[in-house]
Amino acid sequence: MGPYHSVLIHFPIALLMTATLAILVRAVSDAPLARAIDRALVPLLAIGVLAGFVAFAVGLMVWPWEAISSTPLGRNHVLLASWTLSYWILMLALRWSAGEAIWQGVTRWVMAGLALLGSALLGITGTLGGHLVGNYTELSAVLRLLGWEVYTTYYVPDYTVLAIVVAAIILAAIGLWGRRQPAAA
Amino acid sequence: MRKSLLYLSVVVFLGVLGLSWLTHGTGVIKNDIARNIYIPSELTMPLQVKAAYNGRDMFFRYRWPTKQPSIYHDMVKFEGGKWVRYGASVAGPQPQGIYEDRVTMFVDDGSVPEFARYGGYITVGDRMRFFTNEAKPDEVRAHPYLGKKKKQAEVWKYLPATRRDINDWASIVPEEELAALRKSGYFLDLWHWRAHRANPIDASDDQFVSEFRYGDTGKGPFSANWDGEKKQPKFMFDPQKSGRRALNWDDLIQRKLGFDDVYYLTEQMSAPFDATYAWKEGDTIPRRLLQIGQGSRFDISVVGKARWKDGYWDVILKRAMDTGSPLDDKIMIDKRVYNVAFAVHTNASGSRWHYVSLPKTLGLGRDAEMQAVRFDGDEPKWDQPWTDVTLFYPGQVSWPMLNSRQHAGADKIKEGVPVRARHSEVQLANYGVEVEFAEEIRRQWLYTLLAGVLLILGFGVALIGLLRRKGA
Repeated sequence: MGPYHSVLIHFPIALLMTATLAILVRAVSDAPLARAIDRALVPLLAIGVLAGFVAFAVGLMVWPWEAISSTPLGRNHVLLASWTLSYWILMLALRWSAGEAIWQGVTRWVMAGLALLGSALLGITGTLGGHLVGNYTELSAVLRLLGWEVYTTYYVPDYTVLAIVVAAIILAAIGLWGRRQPAAA
Repeated sequence: MRKSLLYLSVVVFLGVLGLSWLTHGTGVIKNDIARNIYIPSELTMPLQVKAAYNGRDMFFRYRWPTKQPSIYHDMVKFEGGKWVRYGASVAGPQPQGIYEDRVTMFVDDGSVPEFARYGGYITVGDRMRFFTNEAKPDEVRAHPYLGKKKKQAEVWKYLPATRRDINDWASIVPEEELAALRKSGYFLDLWHWRAHRANPIDASDDQFVSEFRYGDTGKGPFSANWDGEKKQPKFMFDPQKSGRRALNWDDLIQRKLGFDDVYYLTEQMSAPFDATYAWKEGDTIPRRLLQIGQGSRFDISVVGKARWKDGYWDVILKRAMDTGSPLDDKIMIDKRVYNVAFAVHTNASGSRWHYVSLPKTLGLGRDAEMQAVRFDGDEPKWDQPWTDVTLFYPGQVSWPMLNSRQHAGADKIKEGVPVRARHSEVQLANYGVEVEFAEEIRRQWLYTLLAGVLLILGFGVALIGLLRRKGA
C-alpha cells in the first residue's frame, strides 16, 4: 500500500496548504477577491480533510501495526498524522460553525495563526513520511535544532499527559460556557 | 468576556503544547541494571583508521578519543580474609573503573555476504548475553553442543546460518554442517586488541565468529589466574623480579599506575601463589596472566607501543597477510576487496556496551570506501589520510528482531537492501536505545497521541463555543 499512500497523500497536502493560503489572504483582506476565496474555504477544507482520512487509512495499511508502532519514525508519523488530521477537522468545524463572523476583529488573526500552525503540523507529518521511505529533507535538522531528534519517539511523561487532559477539559468547559452566552454581535 | 476567554483558550492550548515540547522524551529512559540496561551518555563516537600492506604483512592503525585510558582489568583483591573479584563484565561501566579499553575489527572476504550489507548486526542473535532476555546459564550449560561439548554458559555472537532458526539460539545445525560452513569461509575474522589482556606484551588476541565467538587455534596471549577450587590466584608477582607480591588496591582506584608501571602480571614476573604469606587488606593481584601465545591465536602483534596520549589512543596492529590458517583467519590478498567493521570499548565498559560501525569495504589496491596503501619495506609511513568512521551504541537490536514483523524494514533485508541505504549511525543509535524500552515507549506514545487528539477536540469546542455566529 506504500505507493498508494504516496500518491494519495498529495491531495490533502495540496488542499490544506491551499486552504492555509486562502485563510491568510482572507485574514489580511476584505476585498471582493478575498471574500470570494473564503466562500470556497469550507469545501476546500472538507475535501482536504476527507482526502486526509483516506490517505491516513491507507497509510495505516503500509506496514503491520506491530512494525509501525515499534519504529520511532513510524510512531512519530502516525502521531503527527493523527494530530494534523484532528487539527484540520477543527479548522473545518470552526469555519463552518462561525461563518464569516470569524473574519471580524481580532479573530481573523487567531484564524491566521491557527492555519500557520496547521500547515506546520502538515509539513512535519509529510517530512516524517518522507524519512520513512528514505526521502530526507533538512526540516528534520531544523526540528533537531529546536530540541526534537526525529529519530526518537515523540512522547511525553505522565504528568504532561495529565496536564494535557486537564487543559482539554478546561477548554471544553470554556466552550460549553460560551455556547450558553448570547452570541457576539 | 468572550474575547478574554478566547485569549485564555489560545494561551492554554499553546501553553500545553509548549509543555509537551519541553518535556517530550523524558520519564521513560533510565538505567536499570537488573534488566541489563545501561544507556551511555554519548551515543556516537569517532574512530579513525588507516590500513597498509607490503605483500607480506597487513597493518591497521586505529585512533580514537577517550577522556582517560582504562588499562586495568579483572583483579582479585584480598578483602576480609578472602580474594574478591573486581572487573568482571557487568552491565555498563565497571563501578571501580577496572575494565580495559578495546578496539576490535571484523574482517570478511565476501564469504559472509550478509555481513557486507548489515555488518555486526548479523552476529547479534537470539537471547544474547547481557540482553534483557538473555539465556540463563543453566539453559546454555544444558545445551548438548554449546554447553556440554563447548563448556559455555552464555550465548555469544554467532552467524545466522549456524542456526536452523535464527529466532532460536539453541537450534544449532549439525556439527558436520558447521564444519562445512567453516571450510567454505562462512566465519568472520575478529582482530581483538585489549588494553590489559595482551597490550602490555605488545600482542593482540586473534579470534573468529562462527556458531560462537572462539579464539583461533593455539595459545592465546592471556589465561585465567584463578584456582577455582582453592578460591585464590594461581600466581602472584615474584618479589625477586618485580619487587612486590601484589598491587595496591588504592593505586588502582586512584588510577596511579600508568603505562610505565606494573599494573599487569606476566609469566616472566610471576611466581606460584603463596597462600601462607601474610596477605593484607587491599592486596590486589591481576586475575589474568599474560603469556606468549602460540599458533594462529597469536598471529596479531602490536607495532611499536600502543598508547593513550593527549586524549587519544593510537594502536597499530600487524598480521601476516597469509597466516596459513584459512579456517581461522581471512587471508589477505593483493587486489582484493574485503568487508570490515569496527568497534571500540571505552569508559571501563565491556560486553555489549561498545560502539560499533556499519560495514565498510577495504580495498587492497582496489577501489573501496577505505584504501589499504601498498608500501615497500617493513613498516608503513602512514602518510595517507585517515578514514573517518562514526561508531554508535547499538543497544539491544538483534538479527532475529530485524527480520521480524517488529522491523518495518524486514522486507528490505529480504530484498538485500544494505543498512546504510536506509539508516544513519545517529538513527541506529537512537533506535538501539528505544528498543531497550520498546513497550514503555509504545505505551507512552499512545497516551501522548490520544491526549493530543483530546486537546485538539477541547480546543475546538472552546473556539466554536466562543466564536459561534450571531443568532446561532
